[in-house]
Amino acid sequence: MLIRTEDLTKTYDLGEVEVRALRGVTFGIEEGEYVAIMGPSGSGKSTLMHILGCLDTPSTGRYFLNGTEVSDLHGRALARVRNKEIGFVFQNFNLLPRVDLVANVALPLVYLGGMNRSDRRKQAEGALDSVGLGHRLKHRPNELSGGERQRASIARALVNEPSILLADEPTGNLDQKTGREIMAILDELSGAGKTVIIVTHDSNVASHARRTVEIEDGAIAREGRA
Amino acid sequence: MNLLESVGAGARDMASHKGRAVITIVGIVLGTASVVAVLSLMRGGEKQTEDFFDEMGGLRELRITNQHSHDIFQTAAERASERLTYRDAQAIRRECPSVLTVDPEITEFLAVAYGEKTFQMKVLGTNRDYPHADNMPVAEGRFITDKDCENYANVVMMGPTYKEDLFGEEEAIGKTITIEGIPFEVVGIMQKKEFYFEGSGGSDRNVLEWFNRSHYIPITTMVRRFTVNDRLDGLEISATTIEAVPALTEEANRVLLRRHGVEDFNVESKSDQIRQRNEQEAFFNIIFWAVAFVSLFVGGVVIANIMLASITERIREIGVRKAIGASSRDVFIQFLVEALVVTASGGALGILLGLGMVALTDKVLNMPTAVTPGILLIAFGCSVAVGVIFGLFPAIRAARLDPVEALRYQ
Repeated sequence: MLIRTEDLTKTYDLGEVEVRALRGVTFGIEEGEYVAIMGPSGSGKSTLMHILGCLDTPSTGRYFLNGTEVSDLHGRALARVRNKEIGFVFQNFNLLPRVDLVANVALPLVYLGGMNRSDRRKQAEGALDSVGLGHRLKHRPNELSGGERQRASIARALVNEPSILLADEPTGNLDQKTGREIMAILDELSGAGKTVIIVTHDSNVASHARRTVEIEDGAIAREGRA
Repeated sequence: MNLLESVGAGARDMASHKGRAVITIVGIVLGTASVVAVLSLMRGGEKQTEDFFDEMGGLRELRITNQHSHDIFQTAAERASERLTYRDAQAIRRECPSVLTVDPEITEFLAVAYGEKTFQMKVLGTNRDYPHADNMPVAEGRFITDKDCENYANVVMMGPTYKEDLFGEEEAIGKTITIEGIPFEVVGIMQKKEFYFEGSGGSDRNVLEWFNRSHYIPITTMVRRFTVNDRLDGLEISATTIEAVPALTEEANRVLLRRHGVEDFNVESKSDQIRQRNEQEAFFNIIFWAVAFVSLFVGGVVIANIMLASITERIREIGVRKAIGASSRDVFIQFLVEALVVTASGGALGILLGLGMVALTDKVLNMPTAVTPGILLIAFGCSVAVGVIFGLFPAIRAARLDPVEALRYQ
């Protein structure tokens, strides 16, 4: 099992009040699965995504990723896990505006270390080519359409060959047609054996996944398989 | 991410935020430039003082002066003392192992005549050590020798201005002039001595002109012909090496104290005089330093501010970097290196500007300046230090940002 969580909780201490964002989430994701995590805003799905993506740590409970317990890791070790195991795709792309696409996509390799600049650029160019942006290498993000930007961010997420592709509302900032193109890419990646997790409130998007996990009020409310 | 890549990234970031970089750099450029200017001015002043004393005979010299109470307060011992005499000078030469030259001086204003011309002129009785001790080369002929002193010879060496006054363009060596009616043979002409203090309006006055307006005769001749005793107006001695100066000071004090029976003299080294002069200038140096410090401080505050502002502007970027694998340390290094790239380039530009300012000061204000590699190194070091000190806080702020918060930031 690629991902296994045991009774994850997350409590935010806001002084007077405690906010319990997660109230005990136990589930697993097999390698190669295509999973949608759904839920309305405030349900705790974002918190769960942050923990699954190693951006945040649970208050209690355990999280095993690829056989390693990561719930105890902090700082540099967690940054290392994010770098090697997780590829993020954000709703608003989050590309660095002042550098070209190759530099953007090569960024995870910079933090991975051990590669020289030209090797990194070569690998980044390969990733951009695989999402159909081989002709846009030297462009900056603001010279591209929304769909192209999201494809670039998928290329960035893939460049390190992570075990999980974690997409947070990947079509949220795109029109329907472009959104479908992006989902087609994710479908294709899943078909090729990549583990893909989509966090969304859009049931059309979720319908692409073969399994849905619905979060409500900090806990899993329903699970379903297509 | 290794350091070299961080520097490259910092440089690229700076290049992509030209406006921000320019504003940030201005403070550092000015600060560094003022450090260069200040240090060069300070060094220039010191060097001029050193050059002046060097021209006056170097640092191996000791000046011995009379130092006694006003007549009515004098003790019996002081009254009994003959003060500094030519015999003292001879005793120092005989008894002090560390002495190289002994240069006793008696100055009189006497009637000097050549042909139809007669002037009241300064005549200095001295010995062969005078040009050596006071660093004065001979232009023509020779200086006074030991033999001249032994023989009470009537020979004269002329300063170049006096030679002009008496002879004009005419050849003087071998001619005879009279001093108070006594014939003296001209045996040599001194080279012209010049030194101009730059700045403070005194630039056109040759402060060494008194050397040029003097006749030099053997001190023994002076004592026998023109004075009632052998009391000296000045006595300058020099040590065999600079290191021997303290020993010679001690030896000369001992000899003179034994001969005078009372300490009515003062032995002072040139380095004492230089130190005094530099202490006088220290006050101005403090002001200069304050100016440079304030400029650098302002530059640093500007950097810290702009970097903090740029962190706000780049919170999302920091979040993204962290999400894709940057550790806090990576972010810290990135921001610190960016600050360093900015301040180091500012420092380099500041050095250029500073050199320009120094050249301008030299040319327009006519102030003495001296640029040394050490000064440039210090100035560059200051700019880098400002980068580290004022880049630290923003870099820590950036590194501590929580990735989740940072990504959520709009």
